[in-house]
Amino acid sequence: MIIGEWVRRLNYLLRRRAMEEELRREMETHRAMMDEPRRFGNALRLRDEARDAWGWRWLDDVMQDTRVAFRTLRRSPGFTLTAVSTLAFGIGVNSGMFSLVNGLLLRPLYGQPEQVLGVYGRSTTPSREYRAISYPNYLDLQAGTTVTFADLAAFSTIFVGLDAGDGVRRTLASGVTANYFQAFHSPLALGRPFTAEEERPRANAAVAIVSYRLWEHHGADPAILGRTVRINGEPFAVIGVAARGFTGVGVPGPDVWLPLGAPTASGQNAARALDPRAVHELTVVGRLRPGTPIESVAPALATVARRLEEAFPAINSGYTIEMATPSRLLFMPGPGSGAITALLALVLMIMPAIVLLVACLNLTDLLLARGHTRRQELAIRSSLGGARWRLTRQLLTEGLVLAFAGGAIGLLLSTWATGTLVASVRPVLPVDVSLPDLGVDWRVLIGTIAFSVAASLIFSAWPAWVLTGRASPTDLARRPGDGGWRSRGFTFANGLVIGQVALSLLLIVSGGLFLMSALRAATAEPGFRLDGGLLAEIDPSLAGYDEARGRETYRALVDRLQTLPGVEAVTVGSRLPFSGFGDSRAVAQAGADAQAKSVDAVFNVVGRDYARTLGLRMLAGRDFIEAELSPGSSEPVAIVDDALARELWPGEGALGRLIQFRDAEEKDAGRVMRVVGVIPAVKHSLGTPRPFPHVYVPLGQRYESAMTLQIRIADAGAERAMLATVARVAREVDERVPVTRLETWRDHLDGGLEIWIYRAGARIFSAFAAVALLLAVIGVYGVKSYVVSRRTREFGVRIATGADPRALLWRVLWEGGRVTAVGIGIGLLLALGAGQLLQGFLYGVSGIEPTVLLIAPLILLASSLIASFVPALRATRVDPTVALRSE
Amino acid sequence: MPRDTGLPPGTLMMLVLRVLMRQPLHGYAIAQRIRQVSADELTVEEGSLYPALQKLLVKGWVKAEWRESETGRQVREYRITAGGRRQLEAEIAEYRRTTNAIGLLLDRA
Repeated sequence: MIIGEWVRRLNYLLRRRAMEEELRREMETHRAMMDEPRRFGNALRLRDEARDAWGWRWLDDVMQDTRVAFRTLRRSPGFTLTAVSTLAFGIGVNSGMFSLVNGLLLRPLYGQPEQVLGVYGRSTTPSREYRAISYPNYLDLQAGTTVTFADLAAFSTIFVGLDAGDGVRRTLASGVTANYFQAFHSPLALGRPFTAEEERPRANAAVAIVSYRLWEHHGADPAILGRTVRINGEPFAVIGVAARGFTGVGVPGPDVWLPLGAPTASGQNAARALDPRAVHELTVVGRLRPGTPIESVAPALATVARRLEEAFPAINSGYTIEMATPSRLLFMPGPGSGAITALLALVLMIMPAIVLLVACLNLTDLLLARGHTRRQELAIRSSLGGARWRLTRQLLTEGLVLAFAGGAIGLLLSTWATGTLVASVRPVLPVDVSLPDLGVDWRVLIGTIAFSVAASLIFSAWPAWVLTGRASPTDLARRPGDGGWRSRGFTFANGLVIGQVALSLLLIVSGGLFLMSALRAATAEPGFRLDGGLLAEIDPSLAGYDEARGRETYRALVDRLQTLPGVEAVTVGSRLPFSGFGDSRAVAQAGADAQAKSVDAVFNVVGRDYARTLGLRMLAGRDFIEAELSPGSSEPVAIVDDALARELWPGEGALGRLIQFRDAEEKDAGRVMRVVGVIPAVKHSLGTPRPFPHVYVPLGQRYESAMTLQIRIADAGAERAMLATVARVAREVDERVPVTRLETWRDHLDGGLEIWIYRAGARIFSAFAAVALLLAVIGVYGVKSYVVSRRTREFGVRIATGADPRALLWRVLWEGGRVTAVGIGIGLLLALGAGQLLQGFLYGVSGIEPTVLLIAPLILLASSLIASFVPALRATRVDPTVALRSE
Repeated sequence: MPRDTGLPPGTLMMLVLRVLMRQPLHGYAIAQRIRQVSADELTVEEGSLYPALQKLLVKGWVKAEWRESETGRQVREYRITAGGRRQLEAEIAEYRRTTNAIGLLLDRA
């Protein structure tokens, strides 16, 4: 019945011409039959009313309004161009940010995400801390939950050196179980997934699956299957290519996947095997069987956890197993939360939203100014019977047409901008990663439409209402540009300018804070001497060298470099501060029981002269001695920094103490080390405000093939020249060993990811601020020009009666400056609030930064005075005779 | 939109359907018929009749067909459908109930 009605209605819409003709004929006949045909009303109007029964009146109206809107806008191309480009900027920044937010935070990364759960070990002590899951525990968990989970997969995230034929790049990798891709419902683009045999730890399965991005980067050659890539120097056969944009559980995703049984599937360069039950390295995700009630999951996990606790109390007591939403951000271990993601998305969207608001205020200005000159047209329409609502709707439609045009161009701009931004990240990332698809999808499209509609409502609702309300028949007599309700319109326009100035100031101050923060980060003191420091990263395993041969190479290199003129000290270290990641160990007093205090410290394998090379002095004790650099030395020793010493032995000396690593791997397990030296703490990353504890062990106790030679030269000015020398010497010593990185300490710090983050923040916020400033200046200029043009007669009279043009100029400037000053006052208050919110994202800058709070208003004031200057000048050039004659 | 016919709103459609129950008629004849049967008490303006007819068409309660009249004119004749009959019955019942209730109220209150 209802459907039948809609079909008939649609029929009326599609065949409307025929239907209208039928109605016309019918009424004509009716009229002819009447005794007094003249009594038949207005046929056209009657037909119109009859047609309303078809229910398409609204569509007619919309089409009509749109047609009129297009015609009106075509008639004033200057206005249309200004409005559309303003909106394109305003909506474009929102679409751009939203497509980033969408790709990174909102869009599901894999199929049916609601079925995927993270599974975590969790302490039952009050700390409630999360713990990763060991491989044997994972196997038992899998066997115990087959009813609940269709697939229970596990993975560990690691860094590897990947050489796909174009040099070694540090790459994010994931060691995964055989069912991993199936659990994510993400079939491979090419090749086969890993097998159960390849998953078994120590299987020595040298196979890899590469990301779609990596494959594309290497020419998207279908023959990639079976080709060999080198991972940490070992040859691996490529057996598959992951689906396009697949990143696993979070972002960023690995660029290469290895089976858990691969030689390096766990721990960088470490043969840290996964098979001990005590090695909790795996993140577990489960794909629920369809139809499994979510309430049944937690009890199933708890049951397995209890069984594990009983069977292996030493390892599993005090831990249960829980489910949670897996974190979407890779570098946030443990479960994620929808609330955090939503909050992050909201925070990221605030700035562009303010830019759009400024753009809208600008357009309100423009529409009001233009509306006043259009008063005559509106009055004619109103006197011809256009209801106020009808006229309002017409103006709103114009706004919507403008907003959609701006939105379409904005979307194009944003696609280009996000593409550029993403491309600019890749070279500075210290690792290769895969990113999800950040392109435009239906969410971004709907988002853009929403931004456009919201914008059009904000900027056109008020002008539409005000203008149609004032269109009275007396306006018919007025000519466009005549004076009129100046006072109210004028104050309202001033209010808009105040709003624009205030919001722009907010953005400029925020941009300034980020700029300062980027500058401070770039000049941050790391806690050691940067000048005259050089770095050369090498990896003898890439030449196929074993440990003995590798040690020889390092020794030869250090010896040769030390003899170079100008070189003060040379050392070698496994971890480089400010490289984006470290390897940490829980350090505890030797012999202490499991409950005793332990301190997380960055673990670094170093040669002699490490402190001297970094420009640090020994606080106590001695440096490592020659004997401790070769394996089999007498006593295990370590050097700690004062940050570690303070935490472990507050107020006491560290020298001579015995320490051990709580979570040690097999090689180091149970090894007790004597502290022989204490050095000052250095920062390990910019993000940490205080230096992080470090523990250093000598080369003899531990070998890592990829290490960094650190060279200190006397003359900082000779850094560049010395780099070339170092490269030459390295070739001379052994030309088969590649130098994978060669740079100065300063360049290393400058090219780091953290600096990039602060710089990207500064760049984005400055761009927002620049757009806002530009819009505010246009707004001030527009309002000022408009005001001056309306007061032509007033100025004419003033000049005619002998007013000094210069005084007039000052008067107009002063009026503009006053409005700007009010806006700046409000803006400063807003900026102080924003500073508090932004503080957490800033480096070395407080939210209330006097420099920024002083300079930003000055920039704004100067720009607004310049914007007022041109119209003010025009005021002084008014020809009195012309001005008076226009009356 | 609906013009003053002196009829309670919605009643016109019921009257048209009722008139069409007896035989199919064209627009002019419907108006004539309503006036005649009501002994000139009810007159239907064209301005109300045609919107009502269009509405009935859209609802599917009547069907229209072009036909030649006795006077040799092409007229558009309306015929009530099964759905229309059901609708009419429902509306008459509803109308009776309402007038009854109003009558009771006027008598006894």
